[in-house]
Amino acid sequence: MSELLANLALGFSVAAHPYNIGFCLLGALVGTLVGVLPGIGTVATVAMLLPITFGLPPVGALIMLAGIYYGAQYGGSTTSILVNIPGEATSVVTCLDGHQMARQGRAGAALSISAIGSFFAGCVSTVLVAALGVPLTSIALLFGPAEYFSLMVLGLIFAVVLAKGSVLKAIAMIVTGLLLSMVGSDLETGAGRMTFDVAELSDGIGFTNVAMGLFGFAEIIRNLEMSQESRDIVKAKIKGLMPTRQDLIDSSGAIARGTILGSILGILPGGGAVVASFAAYTFEKRISKNPERFGRGAIQGVAAPESANNAAAQTSFIPLLTLGIPPNAVMALMVGAMTIHGIVPGPQVMTKQPELFWGMIASMWLGNLMLVIINLPLVGVWVTLLRVPYRLLYPSIIVFCCIGIYSINNSPTDVVIAAMFGLVGYWLTKHEFEPAPLVLAFVLGPLMEENLRRAMLIARGDVTVFATRPISAGLLAVALFLLVLAALPMIRKRRDEVFVE
Amino acid sequence: MSEGAKTSANGGGFRFKVRGPRDFYGGLALIGLAIVAIWSSGDLPGMHGFAFGPGTAPRLFAGLLAAVGALVALGGLLFDGPPIESYAVRGPAWVLLGILAFAAMIRGFSLGFISLPPLGLIPSTFAAFMISIFGSTEFRWVESLIAAVVMTAFCVVLFVYLLQLPFQLWPWY
Repeated sequence: MSELLANLALGFSVAAHPYNIGFCLLGALVGTLVGVLPGIGTVATVAMLLPITFGLPPVGALIMLAGIYYGAQYGGSTTSILVNIPGEATSVVTCLDGHQMARQGRAGAALSISAIGSFFAGCVSTVLVAALGVPLTSIALLFGPAEYFSLMVLGLIFAVVLAKGSVLKAIAMIVTGLLLSMVGSDLETGAGRMTFDVAELSDGIGFTNVAMGLFGFAEIIRNLEMSQESRDIVKAKIKGLMPTRQDLIDSSGAIARGTILGSILGILPGGGAVVASFAAYTFEKRISKNPERFGRGAIQGVAAPESANNAAAQTSFIPLLTLGIPPNAVMALMVGAMTIHGIVPGPQVMTKQPELFWGMIASMWLGNLMLVIINLPLVGVWVTLLRVPYRLLYPSIIVFCCIGIYSINNSPTDVVIAAMFGLVGYWLTKHEFEPAPLVLAFVLGPLMEENLRRAMLIARGDVTVFATRPISAGLLAVALFLLVLAALPMIRKRRDEVFVE
Repeated sequence: MSEGAKTSANGGGFRFKVRGPRDFYGGLALIGLAIVAIWSSGDLPGMHGFAFGPGTAPRLFAGLLAAVGALVALGGLLFDGPPIESYAVRGPAWVLLGILAFAAMIRGFSLGFISLPPLGLIPSTFAAFMISIFGSTEFRWVESLIAAVVMTAFCVVLFVYLLQLPFQLWPWY
C-alpha cells in the first residue's frame, strides 16, 4: 500500500511538472476539438493527432496522447448528445438517451452528467490501474514466447467476437492485418519480404499510414456519400449546465455500476470500451424500476455508458503497460507512438522507466480533471464548431492528415500509401468488412511472429508446445471457447435459413 | 434478403447464382491478395531445421488468408445477402486527387518524362484543399477560397511555427 502511494507520488511529481500539465491540457483540448467533429471517432482522432506529439520528449508525448484519447472520447459524447451522430461505436448508446435529453432542452444536464460520470470513473480506474500494474507485471515475467503468442491470439479473438457482423469476416480481417504487417524486412535475416522492390516498403508499411487511410480518409469518402442535410443539431440555446440535485441522485447509482462494469471489461483485450458502454446501458435498463423511460431521455442512460466507457478506456492501458499488448486499436496506436520514441511497451517499462509509467498513470487522473474543467465552460465553442458545414470541414481534415503523415518521415510515399488505404477502407465497408480488427492485427503482427518463431525454436519445432504449457493452453482454451460462443448463433441462423429454403 | 429468397424460390431447382455478392466478391478479393502474397514471398527461404525462415510466416498466413477468403466467398455463394452498394465516384476521385496532389507537390517528383520541382508547404496545402473540396456536391467558390486560405495559414502556424517541424514553405527558399 505504501509502495502504491510512493509510486503515485512519483507519478504526480512527474505529471504535475508545468510542461506535462500543459501537454495534458493541450492534448485534452485538441482531442476534444477533433473528437467533436462529426464522423471522426476516437481512433481517427488519435491517428490524426499522433504526428503533433513526435517532437516532444517521450513522457510529454505519451501524456499528451493520453489526453488526446480522453478528449476525443468526451468530444464524441458531446457530438452524440447534441447532433445524434455517434463518432464511433462507444458513443452509440449515449445517443439514445443523450440526444433525447437534448431535444427536451436538457442538453446541459446530459453533458455535465456525462463529464461528472467520466470523471468519477476516471478516478476509480486510475487507482485500479496503479494497483494492478505491479502484480500484473510480475505475472508477465512468467510469460515465455509461447504464452505471449497465445495471449495475442486471445486478444485477436476478442476483437473478432466483438466486431459487428460476421465472425468469419472479422477473422479474415485479422489474417489480412497479420499478412500486411509482414511486408518489409524480416526480423532476423533482414531479407525484404513482399516489398516488390519498392525502397520505401523495405521498412514495412507505417501503421499511421494504415490507420489514417482506413479510419481518416475512408471515413471522409464514406461521409461524402451521405446527405449532410439530415444533421439534427440542437438549435436551442444550452442553458443550465449544472445538473439538478435530483439528476445527481438519479444518476449516482448508474455512475457507480457503470464504473465497475467498465473497469472490468476494459482490462479484457479486444476492445473493451465498446462492450462496456453497451453492457452498462443494458444493465441499467434491466434493473431500472421504470425501463420504459430509457430511450426517452433517462439520465441513467447517459450516466452509465459514459462512466463505463471512460473506465474501460482507462483500464485498457493495463494490458498495454504491463504486458506490452495493445487491447484495442487506440492502444495499438499508442504502441506505435511508444516505438517511435524508442520505448518498447511491456513489463520492463515499469522497472526501467518508472517516471514514464507512473507519470502516465497520474496524468490519466489529471486528464480527466481537465476534461471536466475545460469542457463544461467550452460547450458553447463545440456547438459552434458543430455548425461548420461538412463541405468545408472535410478538406481541412484531409490537408491536416496529409501534412501529419508527411511530417512523420518526410516521405510523400507515405501519403500515397495512406491514400491507397483510404480506398481500401472504402471498399471494405462496401463489403461489410470491419477495419478495426485489421489495424489491431497489423500492430500485433510483428510481435506475434517474433514470439511464434522463438517459441517454435525453443520447442525444437514442436507445435504442441502451445497446448502443453499450462498458461498458454489456458489462454488458447478461452480463445477457442469465445470463438465457438460467437460462431454458434451465426451457424444456427444460417441453418435456419437453409431450413426455410 | 427477402428479395433474394424470393428469386431463388421462383427459380426452383439448383442453379448457379451468387446470393450474397458482398461476401462472394469480398472473399474472392482476399484470395487474390493471398495469391499475390504467396507469389511475392515465393523466392524467400522457408524452414531450415526447427527455425522459421523469412518466407515461412508470410506463406503460412497467406495460405490461411486464402482459406478464410474461400470460406467467405463460399458463404456468399450459398447464403442470401444484400447486394453491393454502388460506389460513388465523385467524392473518392477528388479526395484521392487532392491527396496525391499534396504528395506530388510537397517534395516534387520525377516519373519518366514528367517531373515537378518541390513546391513547398503553402502551395501544396492550398492545392490539396482546393482539389479535394470538389468532392462535395455543395461546392461554392468564394467560401472555399476563404476556407483554403484560412486552413493553409492555420497549418503553417501549427506545424511550422508551433511544432517547429522543418518544412519548405514556398517553391523558393
